[in-house]
Amino acid sequence: MNATATRLVPGEVGELADVELTAWALDPVAGRSGPAALVVRDGVLESIAWLDDARGVDDRGVIVAPGFLDLHGHLREPGNEAAETIATGLAAAAHGGFTAVCAMPNTTPPMDSAAAVRAALAAAAASGSPVRLLPIGAATAGRAGERLAPLGELVDAGAIGFSDDGAPIEATELLRNALAYAGMLGVPLIDHPEDPAQTGGAEAHDGLVATVLGLRGWPAAAEANAVARDIAILADVVRDVPTARLHLTHLSTADSLDHVRRAKSAGLPVTCDVTPHHLALTDEWIAGARRWAWAAIDEDGTARDPWRDGAIEAPSFDAALRVNPPLRSPVDARACRVALMDGTVDAIATDHAPHTEVDKAVEFGLAKPGIAGIETALGVLLEAVDAGELALDTVLRALTLGPARVLGAVVSGAGTPALVEGRPADVVVFDRSDRWTVEPMTLRSKGFGNPLDGRSLPGRVLGTIARGRIAYGDRERG
Amino acid sequence: MSAEQAVVEPAGPAGPADTKTGAWPHRHLLDTDALTWPQVERVMDLADEMREIVERRRPRSDALKGVGVTNLFYEASTRTRVSFEVAAKHLSADVVNVSAGGSSIEKGESLLDTMRTLEALGARVLVIRHAVSGAPYLVAREFRGSVINAGDGRHAHPTQALLDLYTLRRHMPGGSLEGRKVVILGDVLHSRVARSNLWTLTAAGADVWVCGPATLLRGFEAWAAAGVGGARQFTVTSDVTAALRDADAVMALRLQQERMAAGLLPSVHEYAARFGLTTERLSLAAPGCLVMHPGPMNEGVEIAPDVANGPRSLITEQVAHGVPVRMAVLALCAGVAAG
Repeated sequence: MNATATRLVPGEVGELADVELTAWALDPVAGRSGPAALVVRDGVLESIAWLDDARGVDDRGVIVAPGFLDLHGHLREPGNEAAETIATGLAAAAHGGFTAVCAMPNTTPPMDSAAAVRAALAAAAASGSPVRLLPIGAATAGRAGERLAPLGELVDAGAIGFSDDGAPIEATELLRNALAYAGMLGVPLIDHPEDPAQTGGAEAHDGLVATVLGLRGWPAAAEANAVARDIAILADVVRDVPTARLHLTHLSTADSLDHVRRAKSAGLPVTCDVTPHHLALTDEWIAGARRWAWAAIDEDGTARDPWRDGAIEAPSFDAALRVNPPLRSPVDARACRVALMDGTVDAIATDHAPHTEVDKAVEFGLAKPGIAGIETALGVLLEAVDAGELALDTVLRALTLGPARVLGAVVSGAGTPALVEGRPADVVVFDRSDRWTVEPMTLRSKGFGNPLDGRSLPGRVLGTIARGRIAYGDRERG
Repeated sequence: MSAEQAVVEPAGPAGPADTKTGAWPHRHLLDTDALTWPQVERVMDLADEMREIVERRRPRSDALKGVGVTNLFYEASTRTRVSFEVAAKHLSADVVNVSAGGSSIEKGESLLDTMRTLEALGARVLVIRHAVSGAPYLVAREFRGSVINAGDGRHAHPTQALLDLYTLRRHMPGGSLEGRKVVILGDVLHSRVARSNLWTLTAAGADVWVCGPATLLRGFEAWAAAGVGGARQFTVTSDVTAALRDADAVMALRLQQERMAAGLLPSVHEYAARFGLTTERLSLAAPGCLVMHPGPMNEGVEIAPDVANGPRSLITEQVAHGVPVRMAVLALCAGVAAG
């Protein structure tokens, strides 16, 4: 590590941060990156000096960036505290470099009341973590898809968007109303695009792997269908409500990204995110392959065959890989990376979805879908950067400015992802060249089973500072 | 698959398993995809020896004497469960049968907890039948003994594929399927028998055709294009005439009533009329074409009664061969586990 970074994050979680370091810095708002000297004193970013002379500092070593904002996390509290609590979820977020996490409302009971939103914010405050919890209210009462949740009250209590995530809003008329009403309130409606008529009982992406393994298929068309419907409704709604905004979360297929690309070029207010696992993993992992998505595709864009390649190295049917939407083909994963690079994708969101051993250490088709990936997101993305598949600046922008723009004015006052002097520091410091190993012991999330278990990832997070306070500090190197 | 590849071939228990040399590295048999062709032949050769034991007046070997073999069946089964039970008893194993009904499984016990319970009660070989694809793989990750897959969801039924191969080889001149046209006819989409047979039959060099209504072949055209194991080709068609023409063997698959309810087929009647294996259709095949069915049959639906019970039918022979083939598999895998 850079010798000038030795005074990095020495304190305990919750304490005001004091940091002096010289590292590669990135400010996505200013559109600037390069060597810089930063001083954080009593939690305030006292100074940032961009250095003309690199002094051996480059973008392959220690990097400092605004703290990451995750648009999509499941913190499981209330109702399933054995899988995750708000406290453990925020600790995991900080370990992953995130200083703000949107909490999805599919808790038990769902976050469909002002009281539930206030309870989540209170639990976050009580956790002692400075990581910001951004509540997403349920779009429909009880997430039942029958009538609107008290959207105005939810916003008044602190909700920054609405979603029935875990499920789509199936009733099209209700989706239309939710979009209009959320637009009136100035917050985005976040849809989980899935046509449930095509995905009943689905276990894996409808492709070669599912055919060979006898798994029930989740067709790419079920996502493209839902995305096309949502965009068509949005186009209608914006005529009446110009402030309406649609955000499509965890897009995973080439076709649905094409729909978004066209809608954006038509000027519609639609945004979308992809997850690290849909960028970097593919359905062949279920068969036992363990290579990155970019190694599973030929230069001409054809998916490789893991059986032909002899790439099957682990036992098949690891339930840690069951996720919704499912891990897709190498062609879809590449389309996700291309869409991130060309600006179709606004943000990278983790869809951090922890589950208990009871729900995960079961038959593949009976396992609850979800990957608890908030701590491995950065490492997975840096693997893609190292492979030349993604650009570092694009990745960091999609973890900071991109999601902030999706949420719009609601959070901009609280934490614009910029390195601005005189404001409370909100930064992550990581070492791209330092690898760490994914193991239950190294993870803060309570989620059972990680598909990357045992694998080493680049980009050890050295420290995360949220709102001027220490959220995470690496014990060995901090 | 196969996390067990590193397992070293042990001496094995006394008995017929010792009479053949050659590496058998598999502690578990989860699917036929893990088997090399020499390993498949090892099973075939050992099954021959086991058949000699079976045909004795008092069929008994001490190969698995004192070894706890538990049949854990989460789905109803007659022939497979009884076949495994008889096979294990012929090898002098201590056999226990567990079915989902009337056990703690009904009370919501997890598969892994059930496995741990049975392991604590002495199970050294677990024979598992389960409705969810991949379930035996979960057990194999943690069970200290051997796991034998007796059918998981739509995925695999490796002992059925091995006994089908064994049966076919006994009726093919020279015992070889090289270049022989073998047709798998019916509900391929939902069939674990079809999937496991694709691995073994293509490895045997057969010219494999899978045939059925388009709705029940979903995804198979892409698999055929990729090839089994990424290499071995087979043909997919809904044209029964083309499939059956000059066929050397036909395997009809069971058609479940649920397929109509799921909107995959208009009616049983229409299925039988267009895809049922009738004498008339069979006349397209090569003279002496062999007829097979993994059972249980819907006579008059996927197979006409006169075909099922006709002179070319190997259906009861398949059932009979299940015993020596499963004896061979049990002896080989338990031998590795004992080592």
